[in-house]
Amino acid sequence: MKMRALLCLLLIGALTALAACRKTAPAAAANPALQSYDTEQDWNDPQHTILLNYQQAEGKRVFYNNCVWCHADATPAGPSNRSNVTPTPPLLNDGSTMNGLSDEFMQNTITLGGSAMGKSAMMPPWGRTLTQDEIRAVIAYARAIAQPGYQPPARPGPQYGIK
Amino acid sequence: MAPEAENMGIVSRRMRAAFALSTLIFVAVLAISPTRDFFQPWKRYKRQYARFAQTRPDTKRLLADYQPGIEQIWIPEMNVVDRCTTCHTGMTQSSLADASVPEPFRAHPPIPHRVKEWGCVVCHRGQGPATEVAEAHETTLAWEQPLLPTRYIQASCGVCHQADLPQTPRLTKGRQLLAEFNCVGCHRLSGIETPAMIGPDLTNIGNKVGREWIYKWLKEPRTVVDDSGNTTVNGYETEDEPRMPYFRLTEQELRGLSAYLVSLRSQPVQPHAFNPKVVAAWEKKPDLADQGEIRFREMFCSTCHSLAVTRAGETKLIGGDIGPELTKVGSKVNGDWLVAWLRNPQADLPNSKMPRYEWSDEDLYKVSHYIAAKLTDSDLLSNVPKLDAPTQDEIQLGRRLFVEKGCRSCHLIQGLTPQKDFGPDLTALGGKNVSQLEFGNSKIPRHLIAYMQAKITDPHSVNPAARMPQYHFKPEDLDAITTALLSMTGPAQSPALARLVVPAAHKEFHPAGAFGEVYERYKCYVCHRFNGLGGDLAPDLTFEGSRAQRQWLIAFLKNPQTLRPTLTLRMPQFNLTDAEASVLADYIEMALDSPAVSGGVDSKEFTPQLAATGKQLYEVKYQCQACHTIGASGGYVGPNLSNVGNWMKPSWIEAWLKDPPALVPGTIEPRRTFSDDEVRALTAYLMTLRQSAPPKNAGATARLAGPSGAQPAAAAPAEGGGR
Repeated sequence: MKMRALLCLLLIGALTALAACRKTAPAAAANPALQSYDTEQDWNDPQHTILLNYQQAEGKRVFYNNCVWCHADATPAGPSNRSNVTPTPPLLNDGSTMNGLSDEFMQNTITLGGSAMGKSAMMPPWGRTLTQDEIRAVIAYARAIAQPGYQPPARPGPQYGIK
Repeated sequence: MAPEAENMGIVSRRMRAAFALSTLIFVAVLAISPTRDFFQPWKRYKRQYARFAQTRPDTKRLLADYQPGIEQIWIPEMNVVDRCTTCHTGMTQSSLADASVPEPFRAHPPIPHRVKEWGCVVCHRGQGPATEVAEAHETTLAWEQPLLPTRYIQASCGVCHQADLPQTPRLTKGRQLLAEFNCVGCHRLSGIETPAMIGPDLTNIGNKVGREWIYKWLKEPRTVVDDSGNTTVNGYETEDEPRMPYFRLTEQELRGLSAYLVSLRSQPVQPHAFNPKVVAAWEKKPDLADQGEIRFREMFCSTCHSLAVTRAGETKLIGGDIGPELTKVGSKVNGDWLVAWLRNPQADLPNSKMPRYEWSDEDLYKVSHYIAAKLTDSDLLSNVPKLDAPTQDEIQLGRRLFVEKGCRSCHLIQGLTPQKDFGPDLTALGGKNVSQLEFGNSKIPRHLIAYMQAKITDPHSVNPAARMPQYHFKPEDLDAITTALLSMTGPAQSPALARLVVPAAHKEFHPAGAFGEVYERYKCYVCHRFNGLGGDLAPDLTFEGSRAQRQWLIAFLKNPQTLRPTLTLRMPQFNLTDAEASVLADYIEMALDSPAVSGGVDSKEFTPQLAATGKQLYEVKYQCQACHTIGASGGYVGPNLSNVGNWMKPSWIEAWLKDPPALVPGTIEPRRTFSDDEVRALTAYLMTLRQSAPPKNAGATARLAGPSGAQPAAAAPAEGGGR
């Protein structure tokens, strides 16, 4: 009788333990490239692939349409215009120059053009061509491909405010 | 009192112990459920999130909407019950967008649709109502739809957006590939058009090539992909994927098909009667083929056709991919057929993209000799066995195979009608559950995407009886096709979803009359785009009539020049007659104009003072030289403006300066904030920029093309034509 009760107790205990056991999380992250919207090869290291989310991928699209001509050394159409422009514009992945610039500063420079921000007038204003979301996406893309890598400031800037 | 009565009401120790034990068991059993509940993964995530929010600077905002229970997005009309935000708590907190935020708390990157209005499953698939991690994300016994990996998520955009979106390049590419490879030849697919021409019409193939060549082609097509994924055409590396798929044919089948095809000829090609004077003058010249090669280059054949060229010890293909690669074509085709083809391609293949050139006998003689003498390979057919004249049995077998293998779906033969629905209907493939797929004996993961990719790359791996041939795609193209197929989920699940479908825009451009004839003859639409239809190799001409001056147009049509410093000239000189050039110019002037451009600009207002102001604005205030070249200095991005006074209409320049994207959507030139006076002054200045005679070949082009290695093969810029 005691034996049976003990067995019964053990069984129930075991069942409880089994039921409380958590299922292991799914192995979704087997191939990280499968979980990114788009990818970009690191400009300095072709072996390194940078994963892009939707916003960064949007930025990549806008960049290759509008910005690549002066902010990269090779363009889809051939030679870059970068050497024709004085002062020479920074490469988009130039982290040593751009990591120090705040998101607002970059947003304003792209929207209003270089001359409005005390920079070269050769940088045209894009505020009437691109939407603010598109400009934000280009900045997100620049941050994603920056070399050396970009570290966001501890306290996010006001452009992330609640809509 | 009897002892029994005394003992009544007194419970023995043993009973007591049993009772205590059963109470304990009862409590333990009762505790199972709350314990399980407490350790539910989603509750764990909730507690973790609360702790995580404490470590962030904006704790208050992060916890403003926090509630410990299950959260859900419920949209009854779309049948959405998504509980994903229960664990993915920071979904809409933009301060959690950073990659250092651990999942599942990271914010969703900003997208055009608000999560609260659409839910999650409509894009990501998976199970919205599930409350367990595995059930929400994977295929389980009870729940069959797994999450769509983010790489293929553009498929979800395509479910509603039948019109192409700029944000979904992978989906658009996939749809283009499905059309280009004529998948609709055998399968039913939604929203994919049939291309104008897929494989060549084979009605008279016997006139063009010999049986040995057909045998070789069927056994080992010209473009092959090796095991490591390198594509070669005639042994040279290429970017293009073979359009002809690979059929596993036995020796007997190869003999049968080659016998049947070579027997297809209605009447032999009549050799072209060259002017005897031309033949006499050129026949004996030792440099006949060399002269032909020069002419071949001058005619810009390489805009569409590629050839293997050896430069600096390295042999590679140079040229476009609109027409076939031609390195060994001299060993393929019959000489008389070649001359007849060059004179009038559409007589042989009515849907060919090749323009009908206006040949002089001399040019035709030289070029056809060059092709037949130089573009050859004596070893091309060396590994083909000796094939005798076709026997009746072989021809019968070949004809039967042609029908059975589905060749009719891509190649027309007069008298054989293509069979409808030769392959399965794929309009709902993208929404299928794994249990609805047949994997056969293959070892691939049981997943819809793995199934699709295996089926395209090697249909026999999942179904040994498949009639489908093997296609070889580069991994990124395979992913694009997979995305497009995943977007085909059959009819909309609810009327609310059906109302959301954005149909593809209907595009039409069918010019009639004299212009239509010239347009068809020279195949302008292969490179240029009109009203959204046509190629993207050259500028969009939809509004060309508002842009260019008539004089300039005629001069350009007769002797094309590049207008952008970094581009290589690709427009062939068609030797247009004066009449043809004026037909084109008249039509462009009359019909291809933009409603946004008014003609009322009086160039008498353009005083030298105004032009001087404009020059100041151009050079100092706006520094347009960053992108535009005038004379020998300036940027490469925009068109060269050295001759813009002879080229563009002042009304176009004014409208353009005010709002470029309104005239050419997607142009690189940004919309500025010029005042009306500034626009007038800039226009006045630009109209003073004239060259009396344009240079024979833009110097800047030659200078740039050399060192930078920009060859005719360089990638075509997909600039909508904002020259």
